[in-house]
Amino acid sequence: MTSLIDYLIGGVSNGAVIALMAIALVLIWRATRVVNFAQVGQAMFTTFVALTVQTMTGSWALALVVAMVAGAILGVIVQFLVLRPMRRADTSGAIIATFGVLIALQAAVGMIWGGDAQAYPQPFDNAGIVAFGRIWPISVYDFVVIGVTILLVVALSLLFTRTSIGLAMRASAFNPEVARLSGVRVSRVLTFGWALAGVVGAVAGVLVAPSSTVSPTTFDILLVFAFTAAVIGGLDSLVGAVALGVFAGLVISLVSGVSNSGNAPVVALVLLALSLITKPDGIFGHHKARAV
Amino acid sequence: MKSLMRFPGARLVSHASFVIIIWFLVMRLNGSVDPLANYYIALVAMYATAMFGMVILVGLSGQVSLGNGALMAVGGYVFAVTSLHWQTVPILGVPWNGWWSMGFAAVGGIVVGLLIGGIAARLRGPYLAGLTLGLAVGVPAIANRFPELLGGESGLMLTVPYPEGGYAPVEEEVFIDSSADTLSGDVSTVAAPSAEATVAPDDMLTMDNFPTTDASAAAPSPDASMIDPGATDISGVDLSGTSDLIDASFIIERWQAGLAITVACIAAFIALNLVRGRQGRVWRAVRDDSVAAAVAGISPAKAKVSAFAVSSLFAALAGAVFAQILSYVGPGAFGLGLSLSLLVGVVLGGRSSLLGAVIGGILLVWLPEFVLSLSEKGGWEDQITNNAPNLIYGLLVVLVVLLAPGGIVGSAQLFLAKVTRRAPKGV
Repeated sequence: MTSLIDYLIGGVSNGAVIALMAIALVLIWRATRVVNFAQVGQAMFTTFVALTVQTMTGSWALALVVAMVAGAILGVIVQFLVLRPMRRADTSGAIIATFGVLIALQAAVGMIWGGDAQAYPQPFDNAGIVAFGRIWPISVYDFVVIGVTILLVVALSLLFTRTSIGLAMRASAFNPEVARLSGVRVSRVLTFGWALAGVVGAVAGVLVAPSSTVSPTTFDILLVFAFTAAVIGGLDSLVGAVALGVFAGLVISLVSGVSNSGNAPVVALVLLALSLITKPDGIFGHHKARAV
Repeated sequence: MKSLMRFPGARLVSHASFVIIIWFLVMRLNGSVDPLANYYIALVAMYATAMFGMVILVGLSGQVSLGNGALMAVGGYVFAVTSLHWQTVPILGVPWNGWWSMGFAAVGGIVVGLLIGGIAARLRGPYLAGLTLGLAVGVPAIANRFPELLGGESGLMLTVPYPEGGYAPVEEEVFIDSSADTLSGDVSTVAAPSAEATVAPDDMLTMDNFPTTDASAAAPSPDASMIDPGATDISGVDLSGTSDLIDASFIIERWQAGLAITVACIAAFIALNLVRGRQGRVWRAVRDDSVAAAVAGISPAKAKVSAFAVSSLFAALAGAVFAQILSYVGPGAFGLGLSLSLLVGVVLGGRSSLLGAVIGGILLVWLPEFVLSLSEKGGWEDQITNNAPNLIYGLLVVLVVLLAPGGIVGSAQLFLAKVTRRAPKGV
C-alpha cells in the first residue's frame, strides 16, 4: 500500500510537465484549430538552448528564462512561416506541415548539438525528502517543478480572465469574424497565442530535462502523453489539460512502478483509444454538432 | 482503343498486363546490377508497397495516419514469430515456408487495420493523427511487454527463407551446431528437431534469439532510414564453414530485392484496381464531402474503415518484406521515424498518386545516399551528415504542403495540363 502511494506521489511532478505540454497544445488548438505536433520539437530545441546557456553560465534560472524567450520566438517563426501562409489549406495539410516542422527541428537539433543523449544538470536536490521518519519519493526539485507549473497556470488564467489581450484571445477563439468586426486584430492575437504556447512548451522541456536525458527524439513520448491528456481533456479546455495531464502522470508512474516503464506508451495508447471511442470530444470539451 | 475498355474485365486485364510488364522489367534490372543496388531496389520496393497504402489512406480517403510504421511492425512481427515457432501449417500439416508467414502477416495486418479503422472512422483530422501517433509510439513498445515471444528491446534475429538453389537445408544444421551456445533454450528445442524432420528446400531456417547483451552490437541500426547495407549481409557471418555448398550464383540481396519487387507488384495490382475503380471514387467522394457521399448512398464509415484495412494490409506486407531485408525485427526498426518517413515519402511523391508512392520511395532511399556522397566530397562532420536528410525532408514537406500540395506527380500533372491546355486529370 505504501508503495502504491509512493508511486502516486512520485507521479505528480511528471504529471505537471505533461500538463504544461498539454496546455501548449490546447492554447494553439483554441486559437487556430491546429494541433501543433511540432510543439515537442520546439521544446526540444529550446531545451538544448537552455542546456547551452546553463553550461556557459551555470545559472538554471537564467537558462529557463532564455529558453522561454527562445520558445516564444520559435513559436512566432513557425506560425509566420508555416501556418499563416496556409490558413485556407485543408486540415490534412496543416497536420502534415506540423509534422514536417517536427522532423526538421529534430534534425536541426541533431545537427547543432549532436544526436546522442546528453545529461541535463540537476539544478536542485534530487534525493527523496526525509521527513516523519521515512524517505518520501519526492524531492526538492519535484516541488520546484510543481511550483513553477502552478505559477504558470495561475498566470495564464489571470491573463485570460483579467487582461484585454486575454479577452481578445478568447474572442478570437470563440468567433474570429465577430472579433475582427469588434476591432480585435485577430492575426496578431493568433501570433501571440503561438508565442505563449512556445513559452509554456519551453518551460515544460526545461523542467522535464533533468529527470531524463535530452536527445532530439527524447520528447516524442511526451508528445503522446500530452496529446492524450489534451484530447481526453477536450482539446478546448485548459482546466481539462491540467487535470488530465496530472492524472496521466499519476497513471504512468503507477504503471511504470508496478510493471516497467516500457509499458507507459501502451497505457497511453489504450487510454487514448478508449477515450476517443467513448467521448470523441473529450470530458471537458464542449460538444458541437458536426457533419456526419 | 477506348471501345476496348468497355468489355467486362478489360480494366483488370490491362492493369494485370501493365503490372506484369513492370515486374518483368524491374526483375531484369534487378538481375543485372550489383548487390548494393539490389539492396536499394529492395528498399524502394518495400517503401512503395507501404506507401501504396498511404496513398489510399492519406491521399484518397483523407485520413492522415502516423501509424503505418506500427502496422508494418505488426506484419514484421507476425512474419518473424510464425516463422520462428511454426514448423508446419496448423490443421493442414504442410511444411511451413516463408509465403505462409507472409500470408499470416497480411491477415494480421487486415485484422489490426479493421480494429483501428473502426475507431478511426469516428474521428476527425487531428484526433486521428494523434491516435495514430500513439500507435506509432505504443505498438513497438508492446514488444517490450512480451520479451520471451517478441524479443523485447533487442528484437528477434531471423534468417530469411531461402529459395531452391540457395543454401537452406545444409546451412540449417551447421548454424545450429556453431551457435548452440548462444541459443536460448526454448528456441533451440523447437528449431533443432526440424532440421531432421523437414528438409523442404524453402523451409524456414532456425531463428536465433540473441541474448540481450550481444544484440545491441549484432542488431542493425535502429534508424530505418540510415541502415548500414553491411548489416544485412549475414552471408559473411554464417557461411564460413559451408561456402563450398553454396550455389555461387545465389546473391542474397538479389533474392531479397526479387521478393520485395514481387510483393510490391502484387500490391500495385490490387491498388490500381481499387484506386481506378468504383472503390476509388467512393473514397474520394467521402474525402471531399461526406454528407454528399452519404446522400448518394455511400456509407462514409464503411469507406473509411475499408481504406484503413487496405492500407494496413499493404503496410503489413511491407513490414514482412522489411523483416526479411533486415533479417531482424525490433522496436527500433519500426519506430516513429519509420512512420514519419512513410508520410514524408507519400507527401513529396504525391499524396493522391500510386506513381507518387514509387517516386517517394526512390526519394527516401536516394536522398540519404546523395547526402552521404556530398559529405564525403565536402568532408562534413558526422552529425551534419546524419541529420541533413531529415532536415531536407522536413523543409521539403512544409514547402510541398504550402506550394504544391500534389507533390511531384501532382505538380507534373498540373504542368502537363498547362502545356497541353487540357484540364488536369482528376485527383
